[in-house]
Amino acid sequence: MASILLEHVHLTFRVRQQYQITLKEYLLRGMFRNSRNPIREIHALRDVSLDLRPGDRLGVLGGNGAGKSTLLKLLAGIYEPSRGIRRVSGRISSLFELSLGFEMEASGRQNILYRGYLQGETPRSMRKKLDEIAAFSELGEFLDTPVRYYSAGMLVRLAFSIATAIEPEILLVDEVLSAGDLAFQEKARRRMREMMAKAQIIVVVSHDLDSLRRLCDRGLWLDQGQVRAEGPIDQVIAAYTSHVEARRAA
Amino acid sequence: MTAYLGSVWSCRYFWLSLVRMDLRNRYRGSVLGIGWSLAHPLAATVVICAVYYKLLKADVTEFVPFLLAGLACWNYLVGVTLSGCQCFVQAEPYIRQHALPLAIYPLRTTLGATVHLALALGVVIALTAALRGLHHPTALLALVPTMALLMLLGWSVGVLAGFVNTVFRDTHHLLEVTFQILFYLSAVIYPKELLYQNGLGWLAACNPLVAFQSLIRDPVLYGSWPSGSDIALTMAVAGLATTAAAVVLRYGSRHLIHYL
Repeated sequence: MASILLEHVHLTFRVRQQYQITLKEYLLRGMFRNSRNPIREIHALRDVSLDLRPGDRLGVLGGNGAGKSTLLKLLAGIYEPSRGIRRVSGRISSLFELSLGFEMEASGRQNILYRGYLQGETPRSMRKKLDEIAAFSELGEFLDTPVRYYSAGMLVRLAFSIATAIEPEILLVDEVLSAGDLAFQEKARRRMREMMAKAQIIVVVSHDLDSLRRLCDRGLWLDQGQVRAEGPIDQVIAAYTSHVEARRAA
Repeated sequence: MTAYLGSVWSCRYFWLSLVRMDLRNRYRGSVLGIGWSLAHPLAATVVICAVYYKLLKADVTEFVPFLLAGLACWNYLVGVTLSGCQCFVQAEPYIRQHALPLAIYPLRTTLGATVHLALALGVVIALTAALRGLHHPTALLALVPTMALLMLLGWSVGVLAGFVNTVFRDTHHLLEVTFQILFYLSAVIYPKELLYQNGLGWLAACNPLVAFQSLIRDPVLYGSWPSGSDIALTMAVAGLATTAAAVVLRYGSRHLIHYL
């Protein structure tokens, strides 16, 4: 049975203002004491607690930089909490940063295979799914072409087709509700609805409050990494919109 | 530990497909294809042998297999280290999308290098058989544990180089320079006995790069099993590197993504 439990989770990033520290900086600048590029601590999540069980559909909302995507990545196991407890059981499918991770020299068909393996599929299961994924992507003969010749839209279509071909127990979605062109978007929405109906737990991050209201029954409003409100989705959206309107008026 | 190895095994189809893709991509569009991985040490051998033959009157039938065996081992060690430096940086898109065990990315680079090592060793054995004959072919069985040891070392060095290079991007360049220096100190292009004859025996005795080459040269060129001291030194180095890699993975995995 799928479940997600977060207890008083904190996540702190230690970052430098400049992209990387060089060995010269490390060795010569007093071992960081007089660094011109000091480490800054960014509290991405503070004291977040969650308990999701089968049947829960959680919508996460908040402004830019509130920690929504970070929370999703923490649930997916990509980030580990700096403090607190994270317990997730169940097969996770994460739909975020879909366009990343393509092997540009490989064909679309080859990319389907290894992205499928990346999601935990086997050669046997991929043999069954390959044609279905190819058909859903509508890329036809382009599937035998290296993906470096694809447009951005074609890449998203291919990524979406692969990512949604599995049946997860836990589905984590970050703003992928508008994949591809208009015709594909309708198909993608149908696919998402089917997938969401099958998944035991869903966590959706979106700025589209109507979509969240339609897809989710619970809401979580994050602000600067902290939970501002949690509860029935309508109440959380109402609290968030009134906060945004109050700020706009001020 | 068992759970971690289990998770590496469970995503084997993914990293094996990446290894296949790396091998395909490396020679995509090339006329000679995988032959380039053989052409490189062969070309180096021809040039060096020509110089040695002309200047030092070296016996080419002795020297060609000797040099090729050394270069096969050397190129593998340099390859796993330098490609290991990039293993996590190169895998950033995957690391940002899926929580897979980080150990699979150095495994990808190591397996690719191992394929090239196996090809190069095939050429060395064939050339040795043609030029001077294989004295004791059964000694070639020693290459099986040697390959396993080299793979373990390659993976461990890949993990360590990958972590260090992700934090300090100068590492790759520093290692390139270091390997250039080590090339001339590691008896790749001359017999290690020369070091002993010139009072630099300690350099051969404590340089594991020399011992690793002996693990390949002894069975292929001389039909003998590697010496106990070479086996002990290489196993100690591989064991130490594996322990260090396991510790780094255990405590560093959670932080790596912040440096990507």
